[in-house]
Amino acid sequence: MTEKIQELRRLASMEIAAVQDLEDLDNFRIKFLARKGFIAELFDELRSIPSEDRPSSGKALNELRLFVQTLFDQRKRQLGSGSTKRKEMLDLTLPGRARWVGSQHPLTQTLDEIKRIFFRMGFSIATGPEIEDDYHNFEALNFPPDHPARDMQDTFFISEKILLRTHTSPVQIRVMENQQPPVRVIIPGRVYRNETISSRSYCLFHQVEGLYVDKGVSFSELKGTLVTFARQFYGSDLKYRFRPSYFPFTEPSAEMDITCFLCKGRGCRVCKMTGWLEILGCGMVDPNVYKFVGYDPEQYTGYAFGMGIERITMLRYGIDDIRILFENDVRFLRQFS
Amino acid sequence: MRISLNWLRKYIDIQISPNDLADRLTMIGFEVENIEHLGAKYDRFVVGEVFEVQKHPNADKLTVCKVGIGTEVLQIVCGAPNVKPFQKVAVGLTGARIPHNQHDPDAKPFFLSQAKIRGVDSYGMICSAFELGIGDDKNGILELAKNAKPGLPLADYLGINDTILEVGITPNRPDAMSHIGIAREIGALLEQKVNTPSTKVKESKKGIGKYASVRVEDKQNCPRYTARVILGVKIASSPEWLKESLNAIGIRPINNVVDITNYVLMECGHPLHAFDYDKLDGHTIVVRLARKNEFFTTLDHKNRELRDDILMVCDAAHPVAIAGIMGGENSEISESTVNVFLESAYFRPQSIRKSAKYFGLSTDASQRFERGADPSITPWAVDRAARLIQDICGGEILRGKIDSYPKKISPRKITLRVGKTNEVLGIRLSAKRISSLLNKLNIEVLKSNSKGISNKSLTFRIPTFRPDIEREIDLIEEVARLHGYNNIETKNFATIQFSEGVPKEDITDIIRKELTGFGMREVVANSMQQKSVASLASDKIVEIANPISKDMSSLRTSLIPGMLSIIRHNIYHGTKNLRLFEIGRVYFHAPGSVDAKMVEGYTEDEHLLLTFTGVAQPLAWDQKPRFVDVFDVKGELQSLFDKISLDKIKYIPYPNTKALTENGLIIEINGEYVGSLGSVRREILDRFEVEQDVFIAELRLDVLSKHVKTIRRDFRALPKYPAVRRDLAVVLDSRVPVGGLEEKIWQSGQPLLTDLELFDIYIGDQIPSGKKSCAFALEFLSEDHTLAQEEVDDVIQNIIDQTSRSFGAEIRK
Repeated sequence: MTEKIQELRRLASMEIAAVQDLEDLDNFRIKFLARKGFIAELFDELRSIPSEDRPSSGKALNELRLFVQTLFDQRKRQLGSGSTKRKEMLDLTLPGRARWVGSQHPLTQTLDEIKRIFFRMGFSIATGPEIEDDYHNFEALNFPPDHPARDMQDTFFISEKILLRTHTSPVQIRVMENQQPPVRVIIPGRVYRNETISSRSYCLFHQVEGLYVDKGVSFSELKGTLVTFARQFYGSDLKYRFRPSYFPFTEPSAEMDITCFLCKGRGCRVCKMTGWLEILGCGMVDPNVYKFVGYDPEQYTGYAFGMGIERITMLRYGIDDIRILFENDVRFLRQFS
Repeated sequence: MRISLNWLRKYIDIQISPNDLADRLTMIGFEVENIEHLGAKYDRFVVGEVFEVQKHPNADKLTVCKVGIGTEVLQIVCGAPNVKPFQKVAVGLTGARIPHNQHDPDAKPFFLSQAKIRGVDSYGMICSAFELGIGDDKNGILELAKNAKPGLPLADYLGINDTILEVGITPNRPDAMSHIGIAREIGALLEQKVNTPSTKVKESKKGIGKYASVRVEDKQNCPRYTARVILGVKIASSPEWLKESLNAIGIRPINNVVDITNYVLMECGHPLHAFDYDKLDGHTIVVRLARKNEFFTTLDHKNRELRDDILMVCDAAHPVAIAGIMGGENSEISESTVNVFLESAYFRPQSIRKSAKYFGLSTDASQRFERGADPSITPWAVDRAARLIQDICGGEILRGKIDSYPKKISPRKITLRVGKTNEVLGIRLSAKRISSLLNKLNIEVLKSNSKGISNKSLTFRIPTFRPDIEREIDLIEEVARLHGYNNIETKNFATIQFSEGVPKEDITDIIRKELTGFGMREVVANSMQQKSVASLASDKIVEIANPISKDMSSLRTSLIPGMLSIIRHNIYHGTKNLRLFEIGRVYFHAPGSVDAKMVEGYTEDEHLLLTFTGVAQPLAWDQKPRFVDVFDVKGELQSLFDKISLDKIKYIPYPNTKALTENGLIIEINGEYVGSLGSVRREILDRFEVEQDVFIAELRLDVLSKHVKTIRRDFRALPKYPAVRRDLAVVLDSRVPVGGLEEKIWQSGQPLLTDLELFDIYIGDQIPSGKKSCAFALEFLSEDHTLAQEEVDDVIQNIIDQTSRSFGAEIRK
């Protein structure tokens, strides 16, 4: 009896493994568990064995029935839930269910990166209006009325004394009007120039301006700040140079060039064969500007700098037409996801 | 400005290469934007000798020539009638860029290639003067001198070996707008002397006093007027060297007298004007302001109306020139001119600037006067020109010159503190070093003052040609420039003042990141648009007085129109499913508005625009595409509000269509209007040629950020007792808005109801017609005990009672 029970246990284990579908499973049930099945047959045989062996054999037989029933139940659950047949049909090469992908405009991404670098250097953000008055946009920045330097920036006028700001520098004046030194801000924003629209110039663009005024600020520190910025932004092995230039609101004034990263300084179309790329204008705040905002130029010195976000973005990604930035073609935007 | 190296060499010895010179000029503030080797344009041109001329077998007017170019003999098909054996000619080789195509109506350049002309091979081209760009003769080839050596590069034969530097001169440096001016800077760079030409003139015995007079009525605007008279000149074309000099820097030669005044202008930077002496009424010059309603015809044949603040140079009766800008037709030098009145004046910059702006004229003269000419140079310049006129055009220079200079402009004296200089620049230079640097620029030290070592200062005399140096800081700049910006230490540490204020979070940055996370793309649009477009959303339009075009004459009052143009562009280019957003300003003309942060009478608001069009989800293989509707906008907006912790939001349906949208909601936060959402009206979409529906939400970011909770949130302990969840379906009139029902359930479920979610709306056979069934999932929770079933039953009953009373709702069985 004991051997028969063990034999059945082995057989059931083997056959359940071979069950592939519900039909197989039903055959299994009939073979082992049905009223005329193997287990029922053994229960019938139980009557014919010696009475002293019956309790132990009966117990073993009950255990066998439970065991086979469990095998059956497990298999039934497996087949019932994710039927083997359907599993075989699952095509995992089908695409997943996608979600939309968003992106920030490349100009925002460039500005964000610039902001991050200057935040680490302790600058905070200031903003101001785009519709400006002549006083803030020109006069207080040391562009006297009827001064040729005004020709450097073709201006859109709203009325005689009100205009669309031509640079973010008027915000310097607004910040200093409302705050005593130390001042350490960067000023991002949209500016306007009345220039013919072409691949190289648009009627508006964006700048980031920086201003730092305190006691004992020097040109040397200006250089250090901007070189640090340029290295963090363009790469730590970069070569640079500062050239004298002219802006009415800074004195001395400079422009900063870096080695052209497209040709590595050998000279190419983008750097006009000079090997250098101009990336920003800067200088020490002109004492005349302090007079307009009521700072004492004997006590305070400071520096200011400004750069064009479009220009930097275009150089960075090799974009050769500024207009594409304002066209907002998704096929363009997608490249900056 | 174009600066010729050959010309510069007349004043200074330059041993360094053009590239080196360009670099060094750039590094002292004169950016060399381009270097042009004039000979380069004749790179593939050589002198040739015609050996043989034969008739072309297939064309009557063509010949086939054998031309020797030193090393080889080329076969060239030629169309010129004057080609003859043993001529020396200019030959363009294959690959040469022919400056002018004489068969092209615009005379455009072209590149020469090897060609078969009517069946005969041609390996070059024999050029005419016109084709070479050195003359107007198109009728035949240019014949070169008999002794020209075949094979010699044409540039060498023509003596074109000059190099032109295109120098960017900043508006503060009028003194450098000339060859001597640039030579002075090079002199400072190379520590070399600048030699200026002699201006010694041979005067006649006749004194100028008897021949001419000058009366300056407006002495403020014309501080100095110097003049000479030259009698008996012969007007002709200028000698080659003079024409070449002017051509090289882009000035068209006219006649000898005019060319000389231009030459002296480009030499020393001082503008001169030559009048036909015999056309000056009374042989008198009067410098005065124009009269009202006076008219004047300038050299460019334009008749201009004058304004009474325009400074004019006049004769006894009429204006003869707009002072410092342009001469007049009535007194210009012509072929019949015999006697010349030569003006060398100094005009006040502001006056010239005003005139130039009024006339919209910018001339070589006005550019220099308005930036500031040198009042001391007028006698030198007039003598220099008189001498050249005498040398080139003949004639006699009358004895003496007129020089009206009532109030002498003396050189400025400026004191420079050594300590301040070092402090501003962050360097340590000695007083001696500073003086020697400035000395190179003819800025001489007058005295040295010392109050102890730390208070040392120096007083300098500033030459009158440097109007830009007015203050100590201007001198400091000169010190920095000559010391070299790159020799100033790059200090890579800084002292930072810590701010103790709580940093304000930039809400736009947060929103931008969230929306990007929601799968939206950011756009940046032009803020200038057509007036009719700007006026769609508001009538308080800001108009631009001098727009680029009508299409950009106003500032936007809403972000929607700009976005619709972007949508149209993208649909046109094949992208129909778009989820876009923009953060940008809109602008209003608001007379009387006063905001310290704005210009009076104008306001600028930062707006956020969300736009959806096309399908709601990316296409999937097992889902039917669903098109976006207003609930997508509302849902995304709600997610955004949740993200930035905004609550107390109210959506109020607006009954009538708004300017740009319809079927929408007005959004209020804490009772304040923040914007609206809805679908863009069909007429508006039609106007922008967008066929598919577009759903938008436009919000005011300033209002939004005001209500964002930036204060720290408090942690709330998780509930200690289990929540009970129940579903509730109510049937009510289908016209009742769900919003009110939700609110009622919410109210009547307090305080135990903690969450409510609408999960189904059913209209159909199983309920009476005209009714809808709304199914809600409700969650109940108590903070201090486990809820009994009966408690929840009571609340639900209350909800049923209340909704039944308010909306006639019944529970769905």
